Amino acid sequence: MAMTRDEKFWEGMRWAGFGATFLFMAFPIFWMILTSFKVARDAYSTKVFFSPTLNNFISIFQDPYNFGPLLFNSVVVSFSTVAVAIPAATCAAYAFSRYQFKGKNALMVSVLSSQFVPPVVVVLPFFILFKNLHLLDTRLALVILNLSFVLPFAVWMIKGFIDALPPDIESAAVVDGCNRFQVLRHITLPLIMPGVVTSAVFGFIQSWNEFLFALILTNQKAVTLTVGLMGLHTDKGILWEHMAAASMLIMIPIFAISFTIREYFISGLTMGAVK
Amino acid sequence: MNSREKYVKWVMLAPALLILIGTTLYPFLYSFITSFRFWRLTRSAEPGAFVGLANYVRAFGDAGFWNSVWVTVLFTIISVTLSMAIGLAIALILERATKLNTFMKSLLIFPFAMAPALKGFSWRFMLNPDYGILDAMIDFVFPFWSDVVWLGEPYWAVFWLAMTEIWGWAPYIALVFIGALGALPQETVNAAKVDGANTFQVFWHVTLPQLMPIVIMVGLLKTIFSVKMFDQVVTLTGGGPGRATETLNFYVYNQGFKFYDMGYASSLAYILVTTMFIFAFIYVRFLMKGEQN
Amino acid sequence: MAGIKMVDVKKQYPNGFVAIENMNLEIPDKEFVVLVGPSGCAKSTALKMIAGLEEISSGEMYIGDRLVNKVPPKDREIAMVFQSYALYPHMTIYDNIAFGLKMRKTPKEEIDKLVKEASEILGMSDLLDRKPRQLSGGQRQRVALGRAIVRHPQVFLFDEPLSNLDAKLRVKMRTELKKLHERLHTTVVYVTHDQVEAMTMGSTIVVLKLGAIQQVGSPLSLYSFPSNRFVAGFIGSPSMNFLDCTIAEENGNLFVDTGAFRLMLPEDKAAKVRDHGGKEFIFGIRPEDIRKRREKKESYSEEHINAKINVIEPLGKEMYVNLSAGNLEFMAIINARFPLKPHEEVELTLNMDRMHLFEKEGEKEAVAHTAKNATTLEGARLMADLDESDDD
Ligand SMILES: Nc1ncnc2c1ncn2[C@@H]1O[C@H](COP(=O)(O)OP(=O)(O)OP(=O)(O)O)[C@@H](O)[C@H]1O
Ligand SMILES: [Mg+2]
Repeated sequence: MAMTRDEKFWEGMRWAGFGATFLFMAFPIFWMILTSFKVARDAYSTKVFFSPTLNNFISIFQDPYNFGPLLFNSVVVSFSTVAVAIPAATCAAYAFSRYQFKGKNALMVSVLSSQFVPPVVVVLPFFILFKNLHLLDTRLALVILNLSFVLPFAVWMIKGFIDALPPDIESAAVVDGCNRFQVLRHITLPLIMPGVVTSAVFGFIQSWNEFLFALILTNQKAVTLTVGLMGLHTDKGILWEHMAAASMLIMIPIFAISFTIREYFISGLTMGAVK
Repeated sequence: MNSREKYVKWVMLAPALLILIGTTLYPFLYSFITSFRFWRLTRSAEPGAFVGLANYVRAFGDAGFWNSVWVTVLFTIISVTLSMAIGLAIALILERATKLNTFMKSLLIFPFAMAPALKGFSWRFMLNPDYGILDAMIDFVFPFWSDVVWLGEPYWAVFWLAMTEIWGWAPYIALVFIGALGALPQETVNAAKVDGANTFQVFWHVTLPQLMPIVIMVGLLKTIFSVKMFDQVVTLTGGGPGRATETLNFYVYNQGFKFYDMGYASSLAYILVTTMFIFAFIYVRFLMKGEQN
Repeated sequence: MAGIKMVDVKKQYPNGFVAIENMNLEIPDKEFVVLVGPSGCAKSTALKMIAGLEEISSGEMYIGDRLVNKVPPKDREIAMVFQSYALYPHMTIYDNIAFGLKMRKTPKEEIDKLVKEASEILGMSDLLDRKPRQLSGGQRQRVALGRAIVRHPQVFLFDEPLSNLDAKLRVKMRTELKKLHERLHTTVVYVTHDQVEAMTMGSTIVVLKLGAIQQVGSPLSLYSFPSNRFVAGFIGSPSMNFLDCTIAEENGNLFVDTGAFRLMLPEDKAAKVRDHGGKEFIFGIRPEDIRKRREKKESYSEEHINAKINVIEPLGKEMYVNLSAGNLEFMAIINARFPLKPHEEVELTLNMDRMHLFEKEGEKEAVAHTAKNATTLEGARLMADLDESDDD
């Protein structure tokens, strides 16, 4: 079908928009990547061509920056959060999706709303509590608080995946001779696995990127990568070449996993937010 | 279902509910009580006397508080409208499922998945008047702006703070809209074309009205998250210049963890919670309506 | 092998909704029984209770001689085919069929033998390596069947297994299912909302409405002797004509008075409503029992009326004719050899031996044959024989 003039115009606009979107989305990341390979002198300029170096990546792991332990903290905190949140969320999501009971809607709304409680409200009392329990500056403290936003999100997301699974399939397995546990193991879990994995990745990213809790609750032993960036903000100003290298450390694992599961990721994104 | 089965669901719910009671309900109530107390951590580790509504009354006379409310409102309006508009535009651009668009959609994940704290730093770097690449580009295109220190001017600082938020959220919103656009019946568009509507008219009279429920949902969700935004204030502007980018969230943080005034911080936090829950309430109403069907 | 017995079975869902009030039903061993009724009449609920997927609120359920109220589904020796097929999407067809056997710890070689056998019966031996999403609707339906027959259960439960298929395949599968029943010779409980499917497949049909059994009987007995207006209207296509009427008496004869016309009741039917003069009834007659009037006397009690033709739908051998008499509208099936035209007046003969009268209150059939009771098969055959002669 030949395009009308009107359609041609919008087709042109579409291409222009595509280019603009690409620039808008990719450029800030591209610039960070570029900077991470620059020596300090080049970093403080808008040069695009320069002789690259890997020194920044080496020096952030050395004194005085020492990102090694920070990386370790981020990994431990994020994995622990997910390891607790996802099994708990999966069970709860299954109950919400498959059972009818009094007060179910109210409970579901409470779980959903707990995502909207501003983090400062949560952190104020916990700061005092952890201070009294001598849990300030521990990874455990971070895991506990990260659960406050990772868990409700995961419950809703996994529930979406279970809702999409016809209950008849489970009934069929019951008739085929499964007990409740076997149904979960052989039928339900394998079928919602993509959803569970996606939620786990989301939870991991959220914990990994978390900043406020770590900023307030840690100062030395349990500092994570995101808060570690603050350490590159010295009296001499911000050390951008190191900042860029540290950024890569934060971005790359996240980009790698979200890119691997991008299809689930995109469909999972919209779940839990809008039906 | 026999009687043993009746307990199964509660056993399954228990871990999640207990965790949430501990991590959300407990601090939620604790903050509420604290908001009626005098309590400076610098003076005492023990909570002080109940002072009734004094903390709330204090907020009303506090210029810093009103400033933070204004900044939050401004930031929210800019970031919500722009991220929705840009998100919708991107969705329309990438609507068709071509190979190139699929590639672009995967690219959209990145800004969204990037740590907000990092967004702040990266934009701060690009906006630096001496060596910032974005600053250089703007100066090149708009020479009359070459003297502007972007993060040094109050309104521009709020704008760029919103920009970091838009940069992360527009892609997310675009992905949601792309999903919604794909679910719209193509017949209505074809019918409108047969009726002689041009591309813009089709969008305005047919596509957009059908998209409206999702637009409202996403708008509410974005509003909630804009009010919650915190990380970039610290990493992009640190609240400055002056107090120009001190959002309510940041103000609460300062009261609590710079001045250690727990009572006052809690009451401010509760003012924040109340406004957020108005939006959250509307959002949840919409979502649960979808849940029933 | 086993029959099924339900005694005062009640089902109340957790939300308080009573889906089934008080169901009593006995399904003999090896019978092909069809539960039929409109959407939402609790057919699936009944089936799920037999399967044990839904708990019985009160009453007793027997499979064979065993009280199964507390027996979990896996120990009931039943197999079920779901409306949506409910195949396991992540397993191959082979694993789908074998899953039930595996759960029962059947030895591997035995499983292999049984799966091969079942897939041969259903003609899908070459599909075993595929996943369900790689199959067509008809093939999926076969897999669902295969999953059921491989276990050699005591009872088969089918929940609208054909409703997702296109019309042609549906007709074909009907025959295949019946053949399968003959071959396996097992009790089958088959649920459908399609009365044609019910009539063609069941040896016994159970008609349900809003969770209550309306009538149980053979297809022909339901057709000829519906016990109430609901069954009369539900069974048969096009549906029976229903006209409001009263009973009038004149010279010792009883008449059905519809306002537009009066029809004399045959002796045996009149006897049942003699003392109901003046009461309101619903007169029911099937379109196929209204014919164009002919010269020769019919073999049944006939009455004649005049009517105007509104619309004719020719179907080949016969035609559906929509008619009106006075302000009443009704339908007749008339042999296509008559040259009828719309807006013509036509003289009709009504077969009064096959008419029905339903009480306005409660809609119960008031003039059913007593000798040929509605639930006996013989009665139906007798009536069917009556008009063999007249389809010239
Ligand atoms: N889990 C449930 N909770 C409450 N009510 C239910 C539940 N399942 C079914 N019902 C109600 O019970 C009634 C019977 O449902 P059922 O599924 O048995 O109908 P059906 O005859 O199989 O209908 P269809 O032909 O549409 O499949 C309906 O009114 C339905 O709304
Ligand atoms: Mg059903």
